[in-house]
Amino acid sequence: ARALMMPPSTARRLCFLSLLLLLLLLAAAASATADAAAAEEFTEELLLRPLPDRKALAHFHFRSSAPPASAAGRHHHLFPKAISQLVQKFHISELELSFTQGRWNYEQWGGYDPMSTNNAKPPGVELWAIFDLPLAEIDATWKNLTHTLSGLFCASINFLESSTAFSAPRWGFKLNEGNLRYGALPREAVCTENLTPWLKLLPCRDKAGIASLLYRPSVYKGYYHSQKLKLKSSQSLGIILDQTLTVVLQPNTVSGKQLHSTGGQLQPSWSMEHLFSKKLSGKCLVSKSSRVFVEIEKGIVDNVDKAGSDVSSNNDLFVLSTAPDRSLKELDNLEVQSSSLYEYDVNNYNSDKPLNVGITWKLPLIWSCTRAPYHASRFLMGSGNERGSIAMSFLSTGLDKQLVDSSNDCSIKAVVFQVVPWYVKVYYHSLEVFIDGNSKAISEVVDKIHVTPSEDKLLPGTMEMLLKFPCSMQLATLTLDFDKGFLHIDEYPPDANQGFDIPSALVSFPEFNSSRSYPEADPLFVSPLLENFKEDGVVKSYTEVLLVPLTTPDFSMPYNVITFTCTVLALYFGSLLNALRRRIGEEERGLKKLLLGNCNLHCFSLNLKC
Amino acid sequence: ARKMAEIAGDETPPLPSSSGAEESSLLSSPPSPTAISGDEPPPRTRKPGTKRLVLTASVLLSFLVGLPLLLKSTEIHRSPLPSDAIADLSRRLQSHPPSFPCGLHAVFLRSGPGSPVASLADQLERAISTQHHLLPASSTAGNISVSVTIQSGGGCTSSTAAASPWRCGLLTAADSVRDDEVFDELLHSALGGRDGDGMKVYTIVIAEDDDGKGTRVVIGKHRHAWVVGKVDEAEALSLIGNVFIKYFMNGGIEEGETGIGKGEFMPVGSDGNVVLSFSLLNADPNDWVYDWEFKNIGERILTPVVEALRPVADINIESQVLYHTPKSSYSYSDDKLGGNVLSMGDIPFFVNSNEWHLDTSISATGRSKVLQFVVYIPSARECPLYLQLPDGELSKTNAFISPMWGGVVIWNPPGCSVGSKKAHGTRRQMSSQELMETLEIFIGQLRQLFGLKPNYHAQGMDVATKFLVSEKGFAQWELDLLYRHHACSNLLSCVATLESLSSLVQSLPRMIVMDEIGRQVELSLEAASLAQRNATLGIGDSSAVSATRARALAEDAFFHPSIMSISYASVEHYFAIYME
Repeated sequence: ARALMMPPSTARRLCFLSLLLLLLLLAAAASATADAAAAEEFTEELLLRPLPDRKALAHFHFRSSAPPASAAGRHHHLFPKAISQLVQKFHISELELSFTQGRWNYEQWGGYDPMSTNNAKPPGVELWAIFDLPLAEIDATWKNLTHTLSGLFCASINFLESSTAFSAPRWGFKLNEGNLRYGALPREAVCTENLTPWLKLLPCRDKAGIASLLYRPSVYKGYYHSQKLKLKSSQSLGIILDQTLTVVLQPNTVSGKQLHSTGGQLQPSWSMEHLFSKKLSGKCLVSKSSRVFVEIEKGIVDNVDKAGSDVSSNNDLFVLSTAPDRSLKELDNLEVQSSSLYEYDVNNYNSDKPLNVGITWKLPLIWSCTRAPYHASRFLMGSGNERGSIAMSFLSTGLDKQLVDSSNDCSIKAVVFQVVPWYVKVYYHSLEVFIDGNSKAISEVVDKIHVTPSEDKLLPGTMEMLLKFPCSMQLATLTLDFDKGFLHIDEYPPDANQGFDIPSALVSFPEFNSSRSYPEADPLFVSPLLENFKEDGVVKSYTEVLLVPLTTPDFSMPYNVITFTCTVLALYFGSLLNALRRRIGEEERGLKKLLLGNCNLHCFSLNLKC
Repeated sequence: ARKMAEIAGDETPPLPSSSGAEESSLLSSPPSPTAISGDEPPPRTRKPGTKRLVLTASVLLSFLVGLPLLLKSTEIHRSPLPSDAIADLSRRLQSHPPSFPCGLHAVFLRSGPGSPVASLADQLERAISTQHHLLPASSTAGNISVSVTIQSGGGCTSSTAAASPWRCGLLTAADSVRDDEVFDELLHSALGGRDGDGMKVYTIVIAEDDDGKGTRVVIGKHRHAWVVGKVDEAEALSLIGNVFIKYFMNGGIEEGETGIGKGEFMPVGSDGNVVLSFSLLNADPNDWVYDWEFKNIGERILTPVVEALRPVADINIESQVLYHTPKSSYSYSDDKLGGNVLSMGDIPFFVNSNEWHLDTSISATGRSKVLQFVVYIPSARECPLYLQLPDGELSKTNAFISPMWGGVVIWNPPGCSVGSKKAHGTRRQMSSQELMETLEIFIGQLRQLFGLKPNYHAQGMDVATKFLVSEKGFAQWELDLLYRHHACSNLLSCVATLESLSSLVQSLPRMIVMDEIGRQVELSLEAASLAQRNATLGIGDSSAVSATRARALAEDAFFHPSIMSISYASVEHYFAIYME
């Protein structure tokens, strides 16, 4: 580095500049009104929720938005430049990328609320994007996009580049016009190297504000960890970037230190400090709003109601350590109160007076969360390395009994979307359906089916299926047979004997909606987190990842082959030379001569001795 | 062959037949064949048959027949590279480095009446021409054609060689008392009013004006300079030579200074793209948060610069504001200077690459170059922050550059002083005036990064010299200089790349060379010769454009993905594999 010496501007230059300045001021005044209406914004929010199994859920939500502008991708104040350029370059109208470690427990943590519907993601990486491009250009753009994201997030998203790794679902995943691409990497390990670039997109990173709570050791110690980036871009709205991080943590309280001894308490009382080993000392200064919510689920609210007390921050069952700035009632889509929300404005707290929200239980309490109508799970059947079958089971959770009258012709719809890699060759004609143990004709249950069969080393198999189950059903099972394919020796991953992961299938229940509404909320109260909860959310759940063991070759095979061919060649050349060179008759004669000679010598020596 | 010899050896046993008599007493001596030949039939009654020969020959033949097949099956596609043309170009560049002919046109404005003598012009022309041996060897300028015009009250006389664009009588010596900017434009129009294609002609006007203020030299925004004052002929001649060689040809760079043409790299990506990324860094937003209106002001000020540099580089501009970006070097408080001081030794540690996520841009793909320009706003604790030069003075611009990386300006917000109160988290706007001043510093840094002087001191000139500043950031004659050097360095780099590619391909006979590489090499050669042709005509800008293209194509060929992806086995390895 060199220092640069420069005299102050010449008078003439200043004169020119001031003229320019005048012009610019005029221009600025004209554009100021327009700018004020649409400026880049950033909001940060955190939602905390006690879970029935002694854990706690923390959901971070950061929204950056950029207004539509000609300078998008070039000049930014708050919005991350990298994302804006990504949107411009690849013509993305929607994109969602999630990194998940662990599996969302639909039974314990809920399956019928916006959290599980929007933020429960399959393990590993899931990426889907809708492009604003002619259909012919989409595949090439997708490939470039995966490479860019791979570099941006320090992950092996570039493995989604190969045409065997992504698919184009039409309606099973999200209704679209063929411009959606979907890919998943179930085995991607997620760790802080993915979180750091994700945090870099926030204006304050983890230096200030709510993100400063993200203390890595406590965040990665959790049971579930899902970091998501969702982009929406349009001509009229500009770009909206939602970054969410959902973690399920075990509160690190003194009494709850040992997992299995409850110390006489069913639920541990916890606060922010127990969850993150940190308190919240103020907001990110450039954020428009910065809020913390504590959500108390329906199960608890019902209990409080039963106990006859009012659902306030201090009631018969629990007390919140800090008095909230506002409390909200949450209604589900049937206009029934589902949960209560307590809001804290981080603006009112600073490093001298940090925010440390917590919940203290006064009475031991057991509650359960609302579940999806069916618990979907997927497993493998069969043995051996040749063939097997995939089974999917739908176990009724009893929710439908409460919701629909059990008349005879009532039915519940479920949509299944599943992508299977080409080396698991699924025979779609072998689909069998069992309802409560009895085999049923496919036409009775399957309303609509769309299958893209796999092609060897070219395309994965995609299946989209609309099912209709009778309401009275307890258990439905679907089975599909498959053959296991062979991979080329260099297509095997490093640990081939571990088996191959088949990405999670997605089951959605289009008749069930998990959206929430907040009737008492101030119309001026704008919270992107709650806005997301208000959005139309079809109840969805991801099934388990399947682990298929494939026949692995003997990886020393090439060397065996080399040795084998060498032996054959050596034998060939040896015998050829032999055949050319040796004369058996002469050799025999020679042998005789030798014998004779020896004999003669022997005799001779004998003679000498004599 | 050895095998055949062995076979032959078997057939005719070489042992002596009749020497056994004396040696037969030796126990170790082999038995003589003659001893037993008597009782056995001879080993062979007739000559060896042809059967065996045929067998041997057929095996050999089948190998020979198989060999072309093997070679055919292992054949590798190699697009022929025009290595002769590459060597030829390289030789040409070495023997005749590209030189741009240009013209020097001296105009003497005499105030006196009467028509000037024609022979005087020729005489002056010869006098000026003799000075050009002063031109340093490193200069890219080629032949210089000199012409002289003398204008006085009665009309103009030009030297014989001149096809002068000078419009006689449009301008008189009296005009030189006007404002310099105005005179510059007048002069520009008197010289034809266009920056023109073809050979560049630099004009130096000697305006005789006896106003007693002494002699002064003004170097304009275009390709001309003028001298005002009472100068005699010898003095005028030396001034003309001085201005022309020192500035118009060498950009004011002295011997021993770094700068253009002195081995400095151009901060341009090898595909001819540059991204100028401007970042406003708020070191600690808890103290104050500043924003800027870069979109309007920055674009407006920088667009002329971008346009001017277009033949050299395709420039994109980006800006962003970052928060929580502390510097990583240490500054100490100096009461005497009234602020915190950062010494020169700490500057290498100033850029905090951990916290300043300046980000390379997605638009800077491949081999393009990103230049970072950073405005650093110190936190309240370290405010005001000054850069201290080695001589103890404070830097006037409070800025420094890092070659090939970019530049940093430390901007102390207004009202910040030692112990100033935190304006807790208030968001403010950097005023337009301040932003424009900062951008001016950046333009100076950009000039410096491109190898020009950030500004000129009239060093080495014995008369007062003034430089008019163009709103483009670069005067026309500076741009000419840039184009010339850029064309030269790109041509050399293009040839170097092509040569290494050609020698690489020759050294690896098993390397696959795709057709596309061959095509790129040919196009690159074409562009290079076009650049050379333009150079000999003295057209700097189109030569620079072609040279950039030639270099980009050469680099494309060299870094073609197919070259990278294949591992090359040696010939031995190859034989080993196919013998298998």
